[in-house]
Amino acid sequence: MNSRADPEDYAFFGAKPLFDTIRSTSNLVRPDFARFLEYSRQFLEAGNSPGGQPVERLLEQRLAEFHHTQHCVSLCSGFWALVLAIKAVALPGRTEVIIPSLTYRRLADLVAWAGLVPHFCEVDPDRLCITAKTARQCISEDTALIVGVHPIVNCCDAEGLETLSVETGIPLLFDSVESVYETINHRKVGSFGLAECFSLHASKLLNGFEGGYVTTNNRSLADRIGALGGDLLVGADDAPEGAMNARQNQVHAAMALAALDGIEQQVDSNRRRYYRYRAGLADVRGLRLLEFDETDQCSYKNIVVELLDSWPISRDFTLDLLHKENMLCRPYYSPPLHKRAMTYPSVCGDLRLTERLAERFLTLPCGYFVTEDDVGQICEYLHSLCMHGAALTARAATRS
Amino acid sequence: MTELHRLALFGGTPLFDHLVRPGQQAMPDWTSYEAIFRDIFDRQYYTNHGPLVQSLERRLAEYLDVEHVICMTNEFIALVSVAHALCLGGRIVIPANCPPATSRTLDWTAARPLYCDVDSETGLLTASLVERAIADSQVSAILAVNAWGDACAVADLEALAKRKAISLYFDSAQGLGCCIGDRRLGSFGNAEVISLHSDNVLSAIEGGVICTENGDLAAYLRNMRSSYGMGRSVPVPKTTNGRMSEAQAALALFGLDHLDQRIAQSERIFRTFQRGIAAIPGLAVRAFHGITKSNYQNLICVIDEQLFGLRRDLLVTVLRSENIAVGVGFCRAPSGPQKDWPDGACDTFPGARRYSARMIELPISSKLTEADAARIVERIAHIQANAQAIGRRLAQPV
Repeated sequence: MNSRADPEDYAFFGAKPLFDTIRSTSNLVRPDFARFLEYSRQFLEAGNSPGGQPVERLLEQRLAEFHHTQHCVSLCSGFWALVLAIKAVALPGRTEVIIPSLTYRRLADLVAWAGLVPHFCEVDPDRLCITAKTARQCISEDTALIVGVHPIVNCCDAEGLETLSVETGIPLLFDSVESVYETINHRKVGSFGLAECFSLHASKLLNGFEGGYVTTNNRSLADRIGALGGDLLVGADDAPEGAMNARQNQVHAAMALAALDGIEQQVDSNRRRYYRYRAGLADVRGLRLLEFDETDQCSYKNIVVELLDSWPISRDFTLDLLHKENMLCRPYYSPPLHKRAMTYPSVCGDLRLTERLAERFLTLPCGYFVTEDDVGQICEYLHSLCMHGAALTARAATRS
Repeated sequence: MTELHRLALFGGTPLFDHLVRPGQQAMPDWTSYEAIFRDIFDRQYYTNHGPLVQSLERRLAEYLDVEHVICMTNEFIALVSVAHALCLGGRIVIPANCPPATSRTLDWTAARPLYCDVDSETGLLTASLVERAIADSQVSAILAVNAWGDACAVADLEALAKRKAISLYFDSAQGLGCCIGDRRLGSFGNAEVISLHSDNVLSAIEGGVICTENGDLAAYLRNMRSSYGMGRSVPVPKTTNGRMSEAQAALALFGLDHLDQRIAQSERIFRTFQRGIAAIPGLAVRAFHGITKSNYQNLICVIDEQLFGLRRDLLVTVLRSENIAVGVGFCRAPSGPQKDWPDGACDTFPGARRYSARMIELPISSKLTEADAARIVERIAHIQANAQAIGRRLAQPV
């Protein structure tokens, strides 16, 4: 085992990188090619005529079954799926949408596209997500909607948010992009709130090249989102006000179907990678792995660690060191949304906890391109950083 | 003695056993499709401004002879992005016969539409009509539609926009490959947007191509599109998440390699229709407008109901029963609050009304053969020959 005692052993100081190709935090699962071709054949035969998209219908049906919901509407991206869902359910005459600040970097943009104002709420320190308590603190007579955003490891307390929504009459949507496979108290993610939104981007659990979808048990809401998403728009001569073309691409639908067929295998390999991380990081002082709650179903997709106070290197420098080794690790949702430059209005109160948390976490390589052996090497590497971090920091200081 | 019984509406067999409609719907043959996607699956680069999107942008820039090409997931999001990149507010002039897929893009901007009449012969905006419309309004731009592969009088519109110091951008959805002199559509105005929807000669199933000569505008649009392939970093208020995937780019690249054949096949069908229709009283293939070379993807006819002997809408009904779907023009208020649509607008817009009432679009498609086109012509000639009887049977004489 290479203990990497010498700074010269690190790519940052000139050594050969640990990996010769990129290990990223994107999933990039390769669906089965034969399955993809099989689904493709269906749309190639049927063409892309209006109303006649058998592959897209099949995808919607399969996803609705997967999420245990009545309806699914597939669209061109998770981003626009959520924009349209927000437009479809926000209380008319009200302006604010409650979302966490410690979240996906485009989430505030998305609220602005829906013509509404993001109101950033605090998060739970352990689960890193919105809760009924943090959302409740932001509710006012301007509140049009709450978006429960699941964090990238485990889920937010969807049942608590549902109770809050019932109590206050404020509609509730979920951004479930990171929770496709999860259950919450053994109930599948997909049917919580009025609707839930998902992404089929290649970096997500289901690789459809690009794409997104909404699940719901409300038929008229599904129809409304479909109409807003352009079911009537292209090649037709009418569409409701505020509609757009956000239609799913048939080739993306075929890809997503192939990905869905392989989801169990994928979760199996994610689990093996995760267990390898859990074992390998157990004795790395200063790093805390966010553990999956295995009492529920989980995808084991994302690997997040907290840099504890005993970790010897700043997060920025840790990231620099990792990047030089060809590990494209990312700071976890940093900076938080309320700290970013925005040209549209937003509302936020005291978000000190979010600000502190945004400095402490990072994501480690995961997904299809990362082997279990890679994970072993990454853990050993992090162990070395832990042992020699002070020396590396000192060496970097002399260099600059 | 009439022969109405041959018509499906009166019990005959429909001309086609499946619906024939306008729209190219060209896809690669199966062997090519498999090869295209095997390549992507081997490379395992699926989206985020991958090598195929980059190659498509270069190839289109060269083909269209325009400085910057930005490929996006569909034409709608591309048009919305252009309006934001041009910072448009106030009112945007759009034609009264604007397809909703275009007029609805303004719902996603700070601007409201200012409907403007079109020329009754061409169905297109003209500089003089636009100038009259903008007389006393807070107009920030003209969104001109180069419809059916035709083009507005682009030089006149460019001169007007310059004189009024407003922006000009084009929805050239159907115009890929059409030329004005030795220039292809794509480099006019502040920007043009071409559609890669599968109804067009170049298809990514869905897709939008923004073309512009303006480097700053292009940089802004690339930054709006997504974090990948944004080139130089420019602050933008909101991103659009409008990426084109490698799958879309691969299909469009295949289409580009076969574009000449696609246009040539469309032209052969077009010519077949044109020859046949010349012999049908009251029906004429509309001449091209504003362009010197067409891509032949749309076949627009003009009907003279008196001469033809049947109302346009009845012809549409009779053809539909033969499993032939045809397009018609329209001039009517969009749904939703009508704040921007003037009262009695169809009287306000006599050009659009007159144009749309006489227009009919016959199908040109990759699925059609010249023989199919000849059969459609023959069926229309038959309908015309029996027009009086059909009108009587349907109790709706001209």
